[in-house]
Amino acid sequence: MSTAALQSSRPHGTAAPGPSFLRVLNSEFIKFRTLLSTLILVGSTVLVMVGFAALNAWGIGQFSEASRNDPQAAAAFAAQGADLTAGIPTSGIAFAQLIIGSLAVLLMSSEFTTGMARSTFSAVPKRTPAFIAKLLVVTACAFVVTVASSLLAYVAATPILDNYGFDIDLGSDHSRRLLLVSGVYVAAVAAIGMSLGTLLRNSAGGIMSLVGLFFVVPIAFQLIPGEFFEEARKYLPDSLFERIVTAAPAEDALEVWQAWTWLGVWVVVPVAAAMIILKKRDV
Amino acid sequence: MIEATGLTKVYGEKTAVDGVSFTVQAGRVTGFLGPNGAGKSTTMRMIMGLDRPTSGSVTVNGVPFAQHAAPLREVGSLLDAKAVHTGRTAYNHLLAMAATHSIPRKRVQEVIEMTGLGEVARKKVKGFSLGMGQRLGIAAALLGDPQTIILDEPVNGLDPEGVVWVRNLVKYLASEGRTVFLSSHLMSEMAMTADHLIVIGRGRIIADAPIGEIITGKGQSRARVRTDQPEQLMRLLADDGVSVEVQDHELLEVTGLPARDIARTALDNRIMVYELTPLQASLEEAYMELTKDEVEYHSLITTGAAAPTQTGGQQ
Repeated sequence: MSTAALQSSRPHGTAAPGPSFLRVLNSEFIKFRTLLSTLILVGSTVLVMVGFAALNAWGIGQFSEASRNDPQAAAAFAAQGADLTAGIPTSGIAFAQLIIGSLAVLLMSSEFTTGMARSTFSAVPKRTPAFIAKLLVVTACAFVVTVASSLLAYVAATPILDNYGFDIDLGSDHSRRLLLVSGVYVAAVAAIGMSLGTLLRNSAGGIMSLVGLFFVVPIAFQLIPGEFFEEARKYLPDSLFERIVTAAPAEDALEVWQAWTWLGVWVVVPVAAAMIILKKRDV
Repeated sequence: MIEATGLTKVYGEKTAVDGVSFTVQAGRVTGFLGPNGAGKSTTMRMIMGLDRPTSGSVTVNGVPFAQHAAPLREVGSLLDAKAVHTGRTAYNHLLAMAATHSIPRKRVQEVIEMTGLGEVARKKVKGFSLGMGQRLGIAAALLGDPQTIILDEPVNGLDPEGVVWVRNLVKYLASEGRTVFLSSHLMSEMAMTADHLIVIGRGRIIADAPIGEIITGKGQSRARVRTDQPEQLMRLLADDGVSVEVQDHELLEVTGLPARDIARTALDNRIMVYELTPLQASLEEAYMELTKDEVEYHSLITTGAAAPTQTGGQQ
């Protein structure tokens, strides 16, 4: 420990690089990948997606075996045909969205709970670039992990389906749409999660709100009788996702473009609120 | 140079920093001294743009911190040794910070060596002692080779060797012409380190002067006097601006009169004096004197139960 090492580096007064957006993005990516919790949560997402797909494939196979003696069931089964198996690779998405969403909450809330925010926002005192950079890292990760784990799930489910004489046509329009929309949807959930983490600055509170929104509220709306709740349920993010990917919508369903718009609102409102609050509030 | 003008921070009903104005000059170590809860950390966070002042403003080299093109290269700060995600290694923490300003890995390695973190740099911060955390915070502050260095309680938790190291480091940085602003609630540490002192209590600046001046106080001399006839001497010494305090049987403390004048009075009146010691206030005494009305948490021990007397939360 000597002070001699200080005699170094640049002469003062020269224009030295500051926090440009790409540099901040690079910094946020370093922060993202150097936490064990990130790796664990991404790993569990892959496991859940692959596990659910395998289980689902096996279940469909078993059901088809059982329905062979029942001509009515067999007919109903055949009518659904390829759509049934197309959903297999993304069948774990209800859980994947919660895990990735929680990861997104944690990545921001931990900045505040650990005090890291003071370092982050000393380096990037305008704050907004750091938020956008983190948002980009989180949503890109959510998309890639969802699509990649769906593809892995496909690989895992195919031999199981093969046993029962089924297969998944990954090239079909429906399959491709499911894959991409799932990725975009989980990215949207991650954006909402990160906003909750920014607004609440608390890991437990953020995750509970996210679980509430994506797990408790949809169920509650389904259980509570009344037209209002039935109608309102259509506008919840998970219903919007279902609407976008379904090939055969119900009669009173929203148009696809409406569903996309509402999903956009679900993302833009919390993200904008988070950015404004982050800029205004003391760290 | 750091310049604060009318800096104020109000939290709800409590005014943490109350219209504070001061200037921290380059080329010397400026100490920021005050009891816990006096507003030191709040002031420093406002300098770094982390807390928004309720009113007033503060600039670093003429510009608000957030407006600098390369903030980390302008100001390095240790605001809190726990400003780190403890799940990350020290090296990765510094690397992520450095990335925002394209500071090369070589410099990251340099500050790690400089702060003596070499052996633990690849370990998670979770297992760090308070002292190691302080060293990491100082490493982060030096990362951008900044012209201005702000350190909040840098010696907290450091071992004696680390304390001496910080002392030499800040003096060296100041000798290079940098602006060094460090806070502490330990006057002994400030006496060893700082050239200039800003003393704060309950959010107000109590003193802003070179350290020597603060120790001498208002230029009043003090002396300890032992005599056989304390009452007579007290009566004779009594005058405007002179206060005499009876400390013990035959022991007086006289303030506001040079020792020579006391001796003269005693001699003229044939009073025997068997001790006459001019007193120089230590920084500690000067500090206690300055802050006696300003401390937020008084220790009060009563017979029976100790009564809690704090008047508010620490900011």
